[in-house]
Amino acid sequence: MNEHVISKQPAGLKQSVPREPGGHAGRIAVRTVMWVFLLATALLTLFPLLMTLAGSLKTGAEMMTGGSLLPAKLQFANYAEAWKQANFARYTWNSAFMSVMVTVGTLLVASMAAYVVDRREFPGKRIYVTVQASMMFISVGAIVLRPQFDLMVALHLNTTLWGVILILVSAHSSTFFMLQGFFKAIPRELDEAAMVDGSGFIRTFFRIILPLLTPGLGVAGLFAFRHSWNEYILPLVFTMTNPKLQTLTVGLANLRYGSSAAMQIHLMMAGACLSILPMLLAYILANKTFIQVTAGSVKG
Amino acid sequence: MIYKWRRLGENSLFLAPSIILTITLGIYPLFWMLRYMFYDYAGYGEALFIGLDNFRRLLRDGLFWESVRNTFVFAGGKLLLTLPLSLLLAVILNGKLRGVSLLRGIYFMPTVISTAVISVVFYNIFNSYNGMVNTVLMKLHLVSAPVDWLGPKHAMLTVIIVAVWGAVGNYMLLFLAGLQSIPQDLYESAAIDGANAGRRFWNITLPMLAPVAQMVIMLAIIASLKGYESIMVITEGGPIGKTEVMYLYLYKLLFPVSTGSPVAQQLGYGSAVGFASAVIVGAVTGLYFFFSRKMNKVY
Repeated sequence: MNEHVISKQPAGLKQSVPREPGGHAGRIAVRTVMWVFLLATALLTLFPLLMTLAGSLKTGAEMMTGGSLLPAKLQFANYAEAWKQANFARYTWNSAFMSVMVTVGTLLVASMAAYVVDRREFPGKRIYVTVQASMMFISVGAIVLRPQFDLMVALHLNTTLWGVILILVSAHSSTFFMLQGFFKAIPRELDEAAMVDGSGFIRTFFRIILPLLTPGLGVAGLFAFRHSWNEYILPLVFTMTNPKLQTLTVGLANLRYGSSAAMQIHLMMAGACLSILPMLLAYILANKTFIQVTAGSVKG
Repeated sequence: MIYKWRRLGENSLFLAPSIILTITLGIYPLFWMLRYMFYDYAGYGEALFIGLDNFRRLLRDGLFWESVRNTFVFAGGKLLLTLPLSLLLAVILNGKLRGVSLLRGIYFMPTVISTAVISVVFYNIFNSYNGMVNTVLMKLHLVSAPVDWLGPKHAMLTVIIVAVWGAVGNYMLLFLAGLQSIPQDLYESAAIDGANAGRRFWNITLPMLAPVAQMVIMLAIIASLKGYESIMVITEGGPIGKTEVMYLYLYKLLFPVSTGSPVAQQLGYGSAVGFASAVIVGAVTGLYFFFSRKMNKVY
């Protein structure tokens, strides 16, 4: 965006600005060093992903002996093998189920709370907001997993993924604050008009306000989905005795163990590709959203 | 009157899910920890009140202090590499270059990828025998023999590299947001006054960026002290405890890990370690705030 604005300005002022020492040749040298640095960094960033892709298309023997960067012959059958024999179909389903439920749950819980907090006054409102804000910062590590786990056992929710889902939904404070910002942009007159027309509070929220919040829900949902799709330690703890419930992250990490681990590196790489792909696609499609929301968090 | 009760009912209905979840799964676990840190509790059987014994044990626990030391080495290494690199990238990308958005998109990409998944990948490509890192280094003749990346000598460096890989793009973007909020006319008037690029950077960019940088660095410090997921996947704290960081040690006190770990499950003591770890992170953050307070006062 800036590029165009700047380049259309009259050349006079801008041209006189860069006065690096060494004149023309020096400037070219500086530019070259800069571009080498930028491209090298980009290459290093992409390196593990390129190796994942290459590795996922090699044979198990190729991976085991190492030595060559690219596969001799593309082994697309690795994906079928990972999907069927290495249980990645199940892991993918578990990850998808968990992430969708967490996203829906988080959006519902956080949007309802954010709506009331934004539109109404009630006793304890400040306390509620303060607690939500501090929930984002207090972290005592894995210790909280233990009481959370015991609670889910008591509720018999540890034999399904619902325990994990509830715990992930309970961490909805960042979504809450994000959605509160979006609610502020919807004029209050709209709620009032709807209520004057006889629409109740609940109906107004679900029928009129929530549809208007769709863009905000999309943005917040993207982040909630990313968080749960990539979550590792929580599903790991919950599925230790129940391998059927393992998500992609857990199933993949567990492939490192076991007697045939060394012979399965190609499957590990295929599995890694499978689990990275949805997020990468979402990132390519919604690149601006990811970048703007992350950047917005420091602008204040 | 009915109207008022009705409003109260609606408010409660809309807030109830959030409040119930926050209390049971957010706040209650904190109090659970604050209670059990005074108990001898293995996770089964009876919990025995032992007063401050867990903290006495903590003071003498060599493994814990070793993990604290490792945490600072890990966090220090990660920050020393990540922060200058991400600031440099941000400053360059803030200039008017071709292809800025593509490069920015590439650098930021690691943040959308699962730490655990990419750590499994790194675990494989850093393998000394058949890993791709050694293959590339040897093809480029940068090393003559395979480097034992996951061995006791280099394991810490390896997990730091992985952490830097995952973090640079994120902090680059945060710095970039700070840089873009600096008003352009400051640069223009400085240029008219004859300030060169270097002086403009020192006298405008750095001081104007300071308040944002103060916050970005704080986030980076907290994240680097708390991160243990990738270490857990790549080295599990090994070999011989060389990469055991505070929060990973804590994890091992609470849940079993794959290989025969010398750490036995002990929830009471784990609570004390969790509390102590949080205090250490809090103290570092507090000290940082004290020493960086000038950064926020420039303008």
